[in-house]
Amino acid sequence: MADGGDVPVIGDKPVIERVAARPAEETYRSPGEWVRKNLFPTPFNSFLTVAFGLFVLFSARGLLNFVFSEERGWDAVRTNLRLIFTHAYPEEQYVRVWVCVGVVAVLAGLSLGLFASRGDGLRLRKIANGLNAAAVAIAVGIVLREPSVLVGADGETVRDGDGVVRQSFAEAMTDRWGWWLVAAIFAVIALALRRVPERSDGSPSAVQALDFAVGALAVPVISAWVYPWGHYAFADGEFIAEPGRTVAMSTKLPWTVMWVLAVASLIVGRWVRSRVDERVLARLRVVVSCTWLLVPFVLYWVVLRDPDLDWDRILTVDMPLALAFGIGGGIVLRWLTKDGIGEFGRISAVALLGLAAFHWVAAFMGWYPMLQKVRISFLLLAVMALLAHNFSGEAAKRRRLVLAWFVITTVFHYFATVMNTPSTVETPTEALIGGFAVTLVVAVFTLMLSFPLGVVLALARTSRLPIFRVMSTAYIEVVRGVPLITILIFFVVILPLFLPANMEISLFASATLGYTLFSAAYLAENVRGGLQSIRRGQYEASDAVGLSTVQRTVFIVLPQSLRASIPPLVGQVIATFKETSLLAIIGVFDILRMANSVIPAQTQFLGIKREGLLFVSLVYWVFSYMLSKQSQRLERRLGVGER
Amino acid sequence: MSISDATVAVSEELAARDDMIVCRGVDKWFGDFQALSGITATIKEQEIVVVLGPSGSGKSTWIRCINRLEAHQSGQIIVDGIELTNDLRNIEKIRSEVGMVFQQFNLFPHLTVIDNITLAPIWVRRKSRPEAEEQALSLLERVGIPEQAQKFPGQLSGGQQQRVAIARALAMEPRVMLFDEPTSALDPEMIKEVLDVMEELARSGMTMMVVTHEMGFAREVADRIIFMEEGEIVEVGTPHHFFTEPAEERTKLFLSQVL
Repeated sequence: MADGGDVPVIGDKPVIERVAARPAEETYRSPGEWVRKNLFPTPFNSFLTVAFGLFVLFSARGLLNFVFSEERGWDAVRTNLRLIFTHAYPEEQYVRVWVCVGVVAVLAGLSLGLFASRGDGLRLRKIANGLNAAAVAIAVGIVLREPSVLVGADGETVRDGDGVVRQSFAEAMTDRWGWWLVAAIFAVIALALRRVPERSDGSPSAVQALDFAVGALAVPVISAWVYPWGHYAFADGEFIAEPGRTVAMSTKLPWTVMWVLAVASLIVGRWVRSRVDERVLARLRVVVSCTWLLVPFVLYWVVLRDPDLDWDRILTVDMPLALAFGIGGGIVLRWLTKDGIGEFGRISAVALLGLAAFHWVAAFMGWYPMLQKVRISFLLLAVMALLAHNFSGEAAKRRRLVLAWFVITTVFHYFATVMNTPSTVETPTEALIGGFAVTLVVAVFTLMLSFPLGVVLALARTSRLPIFRVMSTAYIEVVRGVPLITILIFFVVILPLFLPANMEISLFASATLGYTLFSAAYLAENVRGGLQSIRRGQYEASDAVGLSTVQRTVFIVLPQSLRASIPPLVGQVIATFKETSLLAIIGVFDILRMANSVIPAQTQFLGIKREGLLFVSLVYWVFSYMLSKQSQRLERRLGVGER
Repeated sequence: MSISDATVAVSEELAARDDMIVCRGVDKWFGDFQALSGITATIKEQEIVVVLGPSGSGKSTWIRCINRLEAHQSGQIIVDGIELTNDLRNIEKIRSEVGMVFQQFNLFPHLTVIDNITLAPIWVRRKSRPEAEEQALSLLERVGIPEQAQKFPGQLSGGQQQRVAIARALAMEPRVMLFDEPTSALDPEMIKEVLDVMEELARSGMTMMVVTHEMGFAREVADRIIFMEEGEIVEVGTPHHFFTEPAEERTKLFLSQVL
């Protein structure tokens, strides 16, 4: 490797290693040989294999016995799915929730279609192996689980002197024919896949992982229409269970629509990609990324809340304000990018920043009233003014800056207006939405806010200016030294006491604020690790070609350090996602609270807690696992080729 | 880039009009260790100066002082009539006049070759992207690797990377090029391709200051050779003088070891 130096280094070890050539797979003549070499090579290793194999089998048996026991009240989960995912969002407005899911499905489909890299795909042989493993696992599970308890005609379990009466082993095995059938189907499909001939060019047959995933998602969607999963609902406090029917229309129809939307947008995305050239694709990538950033705000504040807009005020106050800032700011920025404005431009920008800061001081002291959004607008303008000198000179560049300002003003004023408008959707609790949705909403907003903050903190901590370094270090160390739950309680209970009388903050907002500040400190430390991995030569080269400190940071240092810190960053994302479960403690109806206190309090399911908790764990796990898988893919993609 | 009239007026006091780099009594310490002591030298416009010397003699430190990657503690360094002080504006100005090529190439690994080259012209020189790309392609042509424009540095050989680094420095249209051991990190078979590019550059009239161990390059291309040892300039002369009749004992000793 001639450029040994260009890989970020901590100490002497490269942080990102090139993907090593995979060692040639060892070949074994027979399965017996594999078993001998890998499971029983020495007496001691054989002992370990047997001991831990038994441990695994007994654990699996325990889990299976628990999950499939006749005493389990899975109805409590099945009937309460809507509650678990969205809590008390009103029934007649529920279409808004589906619109949110639909928008995400369409965006995801489009993004994947436009940008997903097409790799070698999943080899059919590998899929077959997976199916075979699943078939074996099911078969083992069938045999492992203890025979079912006999249930009498009255629905009570049959008991004799010693306790419950169970089926005989043979009865249990025949009773579980459905599962045997599933295992057999898997095995047959696996066999069929193995027989698919290799492609004409000799490469192994494969399907794209994405196509496979989309296809796999179709299985549950179709099964909702054809397989009698049973109809379970919980409407108006009444428990409706109709085993033997297919899933309720209000569930299967929307999910089918979602699947169709995702597939359709995937196809559209691919079609567009095949039509346009690289340059247009790069533009589209920017547009789609910006849309992803905007979507959470639109979905939460516009779609879910359905704000009750006050047009009188909008026409007399909001629109004129936005126009004034847009046009006034545009003129200022255009003037600041004039040729030869030089040092005077920078001084003006700093003065503008001073003015913006003064408004905040004045607000704190109560000197003169001013709308909050006007203060923020001034601040935004000052930031843009500070960046303006990067866009001076050419007419096209100046135009772009002014255009960017118009977009920022429009977006900001739109959301400021919408967020200040009361919602028309009424829910029994203070929160608009609960259950898993609140987990997602808090996690998404926390990450969107804490990422920039974390990056700024990391840069400040490595800054050459002592004041920044001290402030950032103090902040990070203080936050990291305090338990998250303490911070949350502080923000929810104590913060409102400190706010000025005319300012209110919702539980949801203060909790998100607490999470953001907490998560930012950890993200900052992760980013700092990446910053330290940048070699001095990169700084020297940037200086030597004349880049300014800001340009060096934005173009050279941050892209490389963020890439180097992907694994810990994703770790922090997963941690934040799971830490939202603390919301249950501070009184938000999140998914954990549903399972832990709401469902067990329903008269039909009094005290049924374990099933819900197991289900909730499963939901957390599925999402965390997907995140971690995605991060591995991202690492692989960024690690290869581009270095 | 032209210098404003006021600066030119100052420059005439500081240095003669065709003096590109002037160093007067430059001292540099790393802690207690004196890396440069009393360096005084002048490099004229279009001159090719090769700096030779054993490792640790302060050659690299000196060349890095000239575009302020290291700060000198006393003495004067004047580049193209602008004196290097702590004034950031002077540093910025000098850096945009001086191109630098490093031993370890220091390409930006996350950017393609063409983005490596166009980044500074677009954001420092404020060129439009198409203009910068056109220039970058012609520079890649000049260093002989136009077909590598869309690749990432990690996909190139060492020699190709160093040629991209030269193109990146040239894209800023510098008046002086500094080379800090440009071939020391290269495999032997790649050294020639880089030296060829440097020779072509020298013939085109660029002012160059080269720290190297390539005696052949020094003999063929240099107008003058400066020999350094222990942070001091020991001997200055034409290649002919230097290689055939060196005056100083230390120079003779060095030459006997490397030739």
